[in-house]
Amino acid sequence: MQIIINILFYSSIYILISYSFSLIYCTTKAFHIAHASIITFGAFFTYSFYYQSKMSIFIAIPIAILLSVLISLLIELFIYKPLRSKSISSLLLLISSIAINLILQNFISIIWGDDTKSIRFGNIKVGHEFLGAYITNLQVISIVISIVLFLFIILLFSKTKLNRQIRAVSSNEQLANISGINPNRVIFWTFLFSSSFAAIAGILIACDNGLTPTMGFNFLLYGIVVMIIGGVGSIWGLAGGALLLATAQHLGAYYIDSKWIDAIAYLILILFLIWKPLGFSGQHLKKSEI
Amino acid sequence: MDYILHISIMVLLYVMLSQSLMLTAGYSGLISLAHAGFYGIGAYVTAILSVKCGFPFLATLPLAMILSGIVAFFVSLIALRTVDDYFIIITLGIQVVAFSFMNNWMDLTNGPLGISGIPEISILGFIINNNISFFILTFLFAGIVYLIIRNIISSPFGRILIALSEDEIFTKSLGKNVYKAKIASFVMGGMFAAIPGVLYAHYISYIDPTSFTIDESIFILSIVIIGGMRNLWGSGIAAAVLIILPEILRFVGMPNNIAANMRQIIYGLALVIIMFKYSKGFVSKPYIGRESRLTPE
Repeated sequence: MQIIINILFYSSIYILISYSFSLIYCTTKAFHIAHASIITFGAFFTYSFYYQSKMSIFIAIPIAILLSVLISLLIELFIYKPLRSKSISSLLLLISSIAINLILQNFISIIWGDDTKSIRFGNIKVGHEFLGAYITNLQVISIVISIVLFLFIILLFSKTKLNRQIRAVSSNEQLANISGINPNRVIFWTFLFSSSFAAIAGILIACDNGLTPTMGFNFLLYGIVVMIIGGVGSIWGLAGGALLLATAQHLGAYYIDSKWIDAIAYLILILFLIWKPLGFSGQHLKKSEI
Repeated sequence: MDYILHISIMVLLYVMLSQSLMLTAGYSGLISLAHAGFYGIGAYVTAILSVKCGFPFLATLPLAMILSGIVAFFVSLIALRTVDDYFIIITLGIQVVAFSFMNNWMDLTNGPLGISGIPEISILGFIINNNISFFILTFLFAGIVYLIIRNIISSPFGRILIALSEDEIFTKSLGKNVYKAKIASFVMGGMFAAIPGVLYAHYISYIDPTSFTIDESIFILSIVIIGGMRNLWGSGIAAAVLIILPEILRFVGMPNNIAANMRQIIYGLALVIIMFKYSKGFVSKPYIGRESRLTPE
């Protein structure tokens, strides 16, 4: 039972990260690795405002999310957008986003230091007995938050105009441009939503796992694994992928050893590439079939 | 003087690393982030064999290269199922797995504690125990690696690599075995990366997993990109610049823990600036990006 709750908790985080990452991937056609540092920034800003400036949680968290979204928008406006207008290949965009991530991650460790920190909101870690398992308030809150966000995503991206625009831009940018959609504006909004999801995920991770400058990168890699095994563009596929990954990791940690969690994640990825290279949803993963 | 020698030995090691990566990333277009993994395999093989079994340098070097090549072969079988962005992500994943093996397999690698007491190199009775002789040895190896890689590139096989990175389908239509050529270039890259690993282990005489992290892979890749994707001499210049530049921070008197982070920031900034200014490399012959070879126009 305890394992099931942990699995639910982590798969909800994975869904948040991988969905926000794949949203950016769909519209810009580039892997936004610097997303990792947005996750980390969300967590560290919360830490700063809550602990160092002694604000209340309800002010600290929104400000932290706002600031991290701001950073990602700055990255988009001042680095990605000019690079895209030079029409460089997505490979070089990927490399530059790795470089940006490197800069931001080291920036974080200069400011806040490398040691592990932890966030505790009052008595949030107090647990309840629930069907023989020990579930903390935090886990309840985060599972509820991710269910709400999940519904929000489904609503937002099935009913609104933005959803249609995002899909238009992701399937054919030039055609979308011709029909009067400004791709850069759509990408701007995508970055705004995705980064806020990432920052929320970062805060949730921080509450459970503590903060380190590399935490975002580790979790982003899991998110990418989920995206590849779940298939791009389908939220149900991503949910399945996240559940599978979290289940495998936690069973692995329970029966073997928790230090092999990374290896297990990539083992799953490799198995998927061998037997089911298109992911759960069967949408195209490779850009060219030769 | 020792300091200068130390810096030049490090530059030579990174020149070898970046040239071996250039064979895979520059010439056959397979940009790999697993290179520090192969570097680490080289270092760990020689460390384990010489500390625990007492093997001489001349035996551990070929063994390290062979083992690294075998690992690279299996890695390439998996990674070559994907292209471009996904290839980078897969190799990044493999790098993480390699690191977690080095860090967690306590019996073999001694985990985060690392392996210490790696003996000095002795070749046919000559013991290499000071920086000058080690510099000469590294220089010789760098020269040999350079010559071999240059010969590979100008051979018919090298031309297949260049052709496949520019137009894979066309190369295939000429009857060349593209898949085999890709695997071969990846394996060779892995084998050559083991050489600086072996030298590094004997030079520092202590290794631990933190020398072979993902940051190291990114650093090697940035040398290749800044030097120009297909420019063997350019990588030499880039390695020298990227290693010497952060040393200035030491003279400015920046505290050590911040200086390490500043180094990474400098590499990142250099990469971003390169992407803006010269999106085709610093001193390079043209690197053809993805679009031109995949979209039929």
